Amino acid sequence: MLILCLDTATPRVSVAFGQDGAVLGEVELGIGQRHAEQLAPAIEFLCHHLDVQLAHLAGIAVGVGPGLFTGLRVGITTAKVMAQTLRVPVVPVPSLDLVAYPLRHSHRLIAVVFDAKRHEVFHARYRPVPGGVQRVSEYGVAPPEKVVAELLASADEVLLAGDGVTRYGEFAALDRAEVAGPEFAAPSAAALVELATARMEREEFSAPSQIAPLYLRKSDAELAKRAR
Amino acid sequence: MTTKVLGIETSCDETAAAVVEDGRRVRSSVVASQVDLHARFGGVVPELASRAHVEHIDTVISEALLEAGALDVGAVDIVAACHGPGLAGALLVGVSAAKALAVTTGLPYVGVNHLEAHLYAAWLEEPDLEPPLAVLIVSGGHTLLVAMEDHGRYRVLGQTVDDAAGEAFDKVARFLGLGYPGGPVIDRLAAEGDATAVEFPRPMRDEGLDFSFSGLKTAVVNHVRRNPDEDLRDVAASFQEAVVDVLVRKLVTAADLARAPVLVLGGGVAANSRLRDRVAQAAAATGRRAFLPPLELCTDNGAMIAATAWWRWERDGATRLDAGVAPTLALPSI
Ligand SMILES: [Zn+2]
Repeated sequence: MLILCLDTATPRVSVAFGQDGAVLGEVELGIGQRHAEQLAPAIEFLCHHLDVQLAHLAGIAVGVGPGLFTGLRVGITTAKVMAQTLRVPVVPVPSLDLVAYPLRHSHRLIAVVFDAKRHEVFHARYRPVPGGVQRVSEYGVAPPEKVVAELLASADEVLLAGDGVTRYGEFAALDRAEVAGPEFAAPSAAALVELATARMEREEFSAPSQIAPLYLRKSDAELAKRAR
Repeated sequence: MTTKVLGIETSCDETAAAVVEDGRRVRSSVVASQVDLHARFGGVVPELASRAHVEHIDTVISEALLEAGALDVGAVDIVAACHGPGLAGALLVGVSAAKALAVTTGLPYVGVNHLEAHLYAAWLEEPDLEPPLAVLIVSGGHTLLVAMEDHGRYRVLGQTVDDAAGEAFDKVARFLGLGYPGGPVIDRLAAEGDATAVEFPRPMRDEGLDFSFSGLKTAVVNHVRRNPDEDLRDVAASFQEAVVDVLVRKLVTAADLARAPVLVLGGGVAANSRLRDRVAQAAAATGRRAFLPPLELCTDNGAMIAATAWWRWERDGATRLDAGVAPTLALPSI
């Protein structure tokens, strides 16, 4: 079963092809915020060098955020339109999960935080369980100090991951926390290959038109209107 | 052999796709308008527009293909999208969709300039049109006076130094409490009013070919504050007359300069009935032809993108897949 996986929720562009749950090849581009320029060429590059044909895809998996709105829109539009054209289903996976999953061998509580700009982070907490991770919080958006306070209030040993950790000095207050290496700062499409293949097998997928970004935040105009 | 182009437009608040043959024959054109979504904010909210584009883009594309009798995108020859100017987050959606189609099918991708597309909309209605043309593009986003000397050869003769013409309609309508979008409401109200009731200023009417509308908007506000009992229909008609006066006078001057025998209108404000009448009159009075495309070709649509892509493809070939969007793209001027 050949699947295409992609995530564009952070400044990175991450693309991988998976065959029966194994990663055939992946492209990681980290120079930031050039999703619209990089994504299509990255897919083309992988097709060419892995000698795979998109016509043979069984499905497409996409990270749906929360994360950078513009990045998400590029990734999700690409996944939707490709899937519709190829008549294959889409597996939507929250991008925070894609950082937590590769850390499943830890014994700590995993807290994933992405920089959400404007002194806020997108965040979720996970517990390692046999074969994966289990999310133990809602997906949220909050100022870093609020997330730090919640983590301090719990007795758990914490493993921090995601680009929000280095972006906001507030996380240094968690002196007993361990920080995952830079390779865990952004969602990886390789993790998506494993996660999505299992879901595809269980037919936990959606029609392309049903895929939408996890925004978590209303637009500024809506917020202003509501405040009035 | 004909060349079929799928054109995608998401630069502002319309999610649109169309299939056009040889830059002239419209096989299908689907527009999902977001007017209702933005109405309560009195103008286009970029973040909301971008979100709506993501939601509707796949459906709009498949409807356009279906209407054209194409079973899938493999039945077209070129995939095109507007890559600027426009709202960055909104443009990204259409461009990403077009590139996704191009990668999936191996078809060439062509990125299209939105302003150039407003010029080529004319060929969809009038396939035998020949340059030179004097074109006035007026909408909520642009006010542009262009001499189209030949295909691909444009001279921008004038543009607004502040508000776009459509923006002036929106702002005045909002001030008068008439709702959004302002153009159609003012047009309707003005039809019942006296255009000579208030002598509003004609900003920059006799100075060059650039436009300015913000002073006119202020004049309307001041007048209504000082004369709260003035009939709104007269205010609307007088304001509209002032805008149209300036637009038409400069269009004719531009046509003189370009030695253009044809006057063309484009953009959403080209739907304004008074502007259409006055352009037709001015053309007749100066021995020219007026070309006033139907409303659905004046407002933003996918067909004009598909038409332009065909002309561009003939001249420049495909656009690279690593090209991005260009929110401040200008019309390529000679
Ligand atoms: Zn336009």
